[in-house]
Amino acid sequence: MLTGNKNTSWKFFSWFFALALMSPIVVMLWGSINTSSDLFTHLWATVLPEYIRNTLVLGVLVALLSFCFGVPAAALISQTNIVMGKQLRWLLMLPLAMPAYLVAYLYTDLFDYAGPVQRLLRAWFDWQSPNDYYFFDIRTIGGAAVVIALVLFPYVYMLTRTAFEQQDRNLLRASRLLGCTERQSFYQVALPLARPAIAVSLALVTMETLADFATVQYFAVNTLTTAIYDTWLGYSDFAAANAIASVLMLFILFIVVAEQRARAGQRHQSSRPNTEHERKQLSFAQQIIASIFCWFLVFSGFLLPVILLLAMAVDYADYNQLVALIATGKNSIKIATYSATIATLIALMLALFQRLHQSRARMIPLQISGFGYAIPGTVLAMAMLATFGPLDHAINDVAKAFDFKAPGLILSGTIFAIVFAFVVRFSAIANGTINAGIGQIPKSLDLAPGSLGVKTLSTIFRVHLPLLKSSILVAWLLVFVEAMKELPAVLLLRPFNFETLSTQIYQLISDERLEQGALGAILIVLFGLLPIIFLNRQKDSK
Amino acid sequence: MKPLINIENLAVELQSKVILSQVDLSLQKGEIIGLVGPSGCGKTTLLNTLAGFIAQSAGTIEINTSENQQIKISIANMLPAEERNIGMIFQDYALFPHLSVNENICFGLKKLTKAEQGKRCEELLALLELAEFGQRYPHQLSGGQQQRVAIARALAPQPSLLLLDEPFSNIDARLRNELMIEIRQLLKRLGMTAIFVTHNKDEVFTFADKIAVMHQGKVLQIGAPAQVCQHPNSWQVADFLQLGSWLPVVLKAYKNDLPISSLIGQLANCALVNTLVDKSSNTTLNYQLLVKPNDIELCQQQPDNVIVEHIGVTEQGYHYLLSSIEQHTALAFSHLSFYSQELYVLGDKLAIRLKGERFNLYAVHKHH
Repeated sequence: MLTGNKNTSWKFFSWFFALALMSPIVVMLWGSINTSSDLFTHLWATVLPEYIRNTLVLGVLVALLSFCFGVPAAALISQTNIVMGKQLRWLLMLPLAMPAYLVAYLYTDLFDYAGPVQRLLRAWFDWQSPNDYYFFDIRTIGGAAVVIALVLFPYVYMLTRTAFEQQDRNLLRASRLLGCTERQSFYQVALPLARPAIAVSLALVTMETLADFATVQYFAVNTLTTAIYDTWLGYSDFAAANAIASVLMLFILFIVVAEQRARAGQRHQSSRPNTEHERKQLSFAQQIIASIFCWFLVFSGFLLPVILLLAMAVDYADYNQLVALIATGKNSIKIATYSATIATLIALMLALFQRLHQSRARMIPLQISGFGYAIPGTVLAMAMLATFGPLDHAINDVAKAFDFKAPGLILSGTIFAIVFAFVVRFSAIANGTINAGIGQIPKSLDLAPGSLGVKTLSTIFRVHLPLLKSSILVAWLLVFVEAMKELPAVLLLRPFNFETLSTQIYQLISDERLEQGALGAILIVLFGLLPIIFLNRQKDSK
Repeated sequence: MKPLINIENLAVELQSKVILSQVDLSLQKGEIIGLVGPSGCGKTTLLNTLAGFIAQSAGTIEINTSENQQIKISIANMLPAEERNIGMIFQDYALFPHLSVNENICFGLKKLTKAEQGKRCEELLALLELAEFGQRYPHQLSGGQQQRVAIARALAPQPSLLLLDEPFSNIDARLRNELMIEIRQLLKRLGMTAIFVTHNKDEVFTFADKIAVMHQGKVLQIGAPAQVCQHPNSWQVADFLQLGSWLPVVLKAYKNDLPISSLIGQLANCALVNTLVDKSSNTTLNYQLLVKPNDIELCQQQPDNVIVEHIGVTEQGYHYLLSSIEQHTALAFSHLSFYSQELYVLGDKLAIRLKGERFNLYAVHKHH
């Protein structure tokens, strides 16, 4: 247990970092509360209702589609003898590595009027003009929902599958003995018990959807995120952008509350996994349908986009492109490394504080430092600007007053703001992973070293950190990958002429020439695969 | 009278490993049988096979649900669990956490009307003294209450056979005996036939009419508890039921009147109850004699032959574990149980001898 001076300084730093991570949000909300009502009335009379409607429709559609993709896939993998189940089990997670905006671009290329699919159809059936046939238009809100759901459904799949696998086998047995068939048992027992996990995963999916910027921007669907971006960069109207960001935050807050409530319902899990011989045996026809369903998800969410990217990379590979790629790649890796390292260190400090400190409020720093995960990158960027902009001005004023050279925008105009934003946004991932790791360490191990005359700090280095090694690595990796992929916050916060892989790809997509960035896109996908592979291997080795 | 359940030659193989083989068992209506045996002996597998969770690889299970109704389960006719009319109480109770007590109890009553369901549920709640808990959820109940809900739920569809998988293992030791008696009386009152699994032999003696001892996938012995205790038919049965300690002996020649010798005395051939000894053999063989604590007495006249290794205090006086002073022989032993009102000290040397007249002798399978 913590005692003495270290106790106070640890406590001070824990609270300091936790509050620092919270501060931009507080500043932004404060700013929007003080926004003039005229501005809000104007926004409400003009564009806001449409933005809100689009945002809501998109959120609901994506949640619905993710449910339809993720829950049956989870049931098939965890409860049936589907062919190649072992492979599909991890293949179905791969779409998570694919940024939605990439899929959006690639599929638009594939399916629009001038794309290969429609050209082929026209050639086959001898159609002359668009009037001769119907073909779906992917650049709509529905298209955006499908594309986003194709890369986000793995959240639903993973959490629901875990819930199914952790259900007490005896509950299903009991329901069978009480007269339910396999199907009835599934609907009356397994599915209701998985409801909290499904709700949590749908909340995550909806949050990610509301935070999406590039996909909707590319499809020209106006949502609250694109509105924030346009209002700030297009019209330089900071107050209006801030106000819209606050509206978006309200939606997010609603989902967070729903998610927390769902989590509270996540009780009663046991470790009696379904053994091989109790899986439902699918008939031949069922096998075919189930396989088509799962492979369709893997193919359209991951394999096809990767193939398209590889084809592009091969067709357009050139030396200059590679040099540019290395430069932007370095930038990406730099900010991702900074963010991952800082977030992991803070998470370690706060999680150990929560575990070892005696004070009653020891849980709070860890909790509040994780709030940022719900905040869309666009909103977060606004919050950074709202906080660090005035702070920079103040610093310059002070410098001038003392006759020093003005340092310029050292906070809001450097990668400091980006890294800070990433740490705020991804701290929850690191916190969750490390806290789960600490939870695995028996409490007696906190006390045993004390009884052997070893001090707390030494205990942490000799007991906790070695036992947390893999959790620390996973936390670092997860934050690193998220930071590599994150786009909207970087777009708004990057210093002049500073490009990362994601901003470069976004730029190329906006200019309809992704071909030149295909290699970079593949790189992002490859990085995204790292934690999936790592986590999967870790699970297998257990 | 036709037995309620008749199991013949039942075998189960999982992943080409034999889990159960040649299991024969039959139960009359209203009988309670306890399956005991060491972990991994196949008792839970037998329960799961009867319930329909595991497919048998040979043999038949016949259940006579009523006078002229019979369910026959064989490889050719694998009935799914929901059509077997068997109830089960799980070790962890397996109550549905998302349903209230009432909903849990009515879960298997879907074929009845709402009114009938309500009536049956009310009866069971009253029977199990749960009347005030109907609206609660499982996590709001104590362990004992949860178990009663599990019993009510299993009884609700009026199964012809009830299976209980270690039902008392989660109950506080102090309450266990009381609860066992209570539930036994309830099952007897309802005329319910039940098979229950435990690894605790004391539970069987309190709860069951019959005991079946299992070992390595086979049923070694079935019978009334008293009969099995008096005449264990194999070494494993006696060992599992802890009927005494094991004393290594040597059989000399059969013509001799005192053919059985040990480090604590000799026995006449006629003192043996069982006839496991292979009389055709003339060679000297190692056997173990089952020795109950009161088969031993102190004998001051002879030289010391044992040493006190452990002392415990029990209601029957001091309990000593003795080992032979002589350790470098095939007849050496340790952990021989002996009770006395006299207090000795660890390391004390004593002289003891066999005094009983009825012994069970078994061929050596395991070293103690």
